[in-house]
Amino acid sequence: MGASQISAVKSPARSLNWERVYPYLSILPVFLVIALFTIYPVLYSLWISLHRYVLTQPKSHPFVGLRNFSETIGSYYFTNSIAVTGIYAVAAVLGVIVFGLLVALFLNTRVRTAGIVKILILLPWAIPAVTSGLLWKWLLNADFGALNGLLYSLGIINNYIPFLATPELARVSLILAQIWKEGPLAAIFFLAGLQLIPKEIYETARIDGGGNWRIFWHITLPLLRPTLLVVLVYETMTAILTFDIIAVMTGGGPADATALISWFAYAEIFKNLNLGHGSALAFVIALITLVLIILYLRALRTEEA
Amino acid sequence: MRPKTSIRSLRRLGLLFVALVFLAFGSMLPVGAVQATNLNFVVWSYGIETIQSNIQNFQKLNPDITVKLQDYSWLQYHDTMVGRFTANNAPEVLYGSDHWLQEWANAGWLEPLDTHFPQVKEYSNDLAPYALQGMTYNGHIYGLSYYADTIVFVYNEEHLSKAGITKPPETWDDVLSQAQTIKDKGIAEYPIILAFSQQEGASIEAFYSMVYSRFDGPGAMFDEKNTPTFNKAGSAAAQTIDWLKTAYDKKLLDPASLQTAEIDQVKSMQAGAHTFTIFPQYNLAELNKPASSDFAGKFKMALMPGSSHATVGYVRFYAMSSAAAKQGQATLDAAWKFLEYFGGKTNGKYEVVKRWAVENGLGFAQLPLFDDPDVAKAFGAWGDIPTIKAQAKLARIKEGLTPWYGSWDVFTRAEVQKAILGQESTADALKAMADKYTELSTQ
Repeated sequence: MGASQISAVKSPARSLNWERVYPYLSILPVFLVIALFTIYPVLYSLWISLHRYVLTQPKSHPFVGLRNFSETIGSYYFTNSIAVTGIYAVAAVLGVIVFGLLVALFLNTRVRTAGIVKILILLPWAIPAVTSGLLWKWLLNADFGALNGLLYSLGIINNYIPFLATPELARVSLILAQIWKEGPLAAIFFLAGLQLIPKEIYETARIDGGGNWRIFWHITLPLLRPTLLVVLVYETMTAILTFDIIAVMTGGGPADATALISWFAYAEIFKNLNLGHGSALAFVIALITLVLIILYLRALRTEEA
Repeated sequence: MRPKTSIRSLRRLGLLFVALVFLAFGSMLPVGAVQATNLNFVVWSYGIETIQSNIQNFQKLNPDITVKLQDYSWLQYHDTMVGRFTANNAPEVLYGSDHWLQEWANAGWLEPLDTHFPQVKEYSNDLAPYALQGMTYNGHIYGLSYYADTIVFVYNEEHLSKAGITKPPETWDDVLSQAQTIKDKGIAEYPIILAFSQQEGASIEAFYSMVYSRFDGPGAMFDEKNTPTFNKAGSAAAQTIDWLKTAYDKKLLDPASLQTAEIDQVKSMQAGAHTFTIFPQYNLAELNKPASSDFAGKFKMALMPGSSHATVGYVRFYAMSSAAAKQGQATLDAAWKFLEYFGGKTNGKYEVVKRWAVENGLGFAQLPLFDDPDVAKAFGAWGDIPTIKAQAKLARIKEGLTPWYGSWDVFTRAEVQKAILGQESTADALKAMADKYTELSTQ
């Protein structure tokens, strides 16, 4: 057998091996990046969550099993932050959806100003969260805030209101800031959804004598449901994980009234220097978010079916 | 033929580019230049222009050292530095505070100065005892003082005279009754403001000072073994919280106090919105700065109301990170030169410390500066020197300073707020604070 014949016999095998290896090689760079920036940190934080890891004791990290989880979940902070997060998330998501829907319905009309509003409405969403937090903080300042000034000069209030220093008002203020920040994105989503609904359906409904409200309730809303679910999933996650606005506007106060679960995790790590608790809490937050996403996705699949 | 020409041209262009790069970089290096030692210096945002000017002066004296300045908000400083330390991104030199010294030293983030620079102990005799204590942990000195100050009680004299009040309050009951008179006469809607935001790191010092002023001697908050004493029935801390709640309920204390940080506090005092406040003494210099407001010059300091008039003395200092110590002798030498220039003497004088005192009204730990005529003149422009000295003599370090003090402080801020708001009783708030301290001590 000559050399040329041997190579002729081997080449299909080589080619087969190459075909097998090539896909793995192709994804290897991306896999390495993901491993470095996602898999390794997750595994490392899992390791931390199972050990006592207090930064002021850098040489002692004994294995503690699930104690970090039980201590975190059993603490006052957890109960408080779950309640605060629940109220905040429900109110903020509902607010964002209602605001987004109303704005989208307006933008979908042929009103002349709709074009300008389309641009302006995106501004709050484009502003970084920290900046918008600062804007709201100054706007709501109890001593020299613009809102207090306006209400006072209009004669609506006799005394300046400490918006961010009263537990209930501080929560409401945060929710409003979140709606202002996130509402525009929801509006754009809804607008895209509205523009996908064929005009003929509306025309037919009008010929059949349908009023605005009935058309909205029986045509617009059902056809917007897929968009609504996307907005619901995204905004729920955003609300649960809200951190920047709290850090700037209230720092979790007054009296822990705005200490959302994300703030609690931050405080455990950066204020209490307890990385074990902080990591355990991060996994709990991830689990809560995961459960919600699964629930939403199931609902979405049911809709699609 | 064309492609060959293009390749040649490209090669020539490439060579030309490389030569230009070498020329450009070469021209930037002075002949016989010595490699400079770089120090990263991290501070909280206050007096940045003065710091930059001080750095320039330092670099003129030490051309072989370059200093790169970075600043963070005071409200975020602790957390940001924790992040940097944990990420092995510590600067060589930085601001520290007695709040966090034990926490940071215990974590191995700060380096004891006397280990490397035994000469630092020569400064100890010049320092106010509370300041030296605040920079000492486990018998080692960790800093040279940037400034040391007291928490003081300040009032708007014009408000008092409008209300027909002839002398400032001497007790906390006096504060309430005078505030009520001022409110009733419509001079100030909320005569008292405090910076008690949950984010305000100095709020614990204001709270402590209110407790100390009601108590004679040490042991108002913790005993010498760091066992909580504040949770005993009828303690000075309990009286303080009850007083705060009364002031809040009677609308004498601005409810916004629970979200007010130091800068807002100073601004609203300048605006004449309030009569009484408690804050670090240097803010009085800011309040009385000519043309800063219509009330400039009308803000006066009185001894902290209460039976003992005691208050908190605290220290902020220049520290060196452990990361710097690992970089070798060149960095250590540069760091010492830096620390001594900023917190020690240059040509036999506390130049930088004095500059802060004269230009910004910052208090100081270096007792000889009290005899400096320039300092006396500058302090006299905004404050009453005998009262300043009398209050400084009554200043004491914060009790209970431990590696977990920072975490306890954060917890305490929320508990005090809950008691003020009536969400829990004073006794429950104090019990929670004591339990937390014990829990943290066993971690």
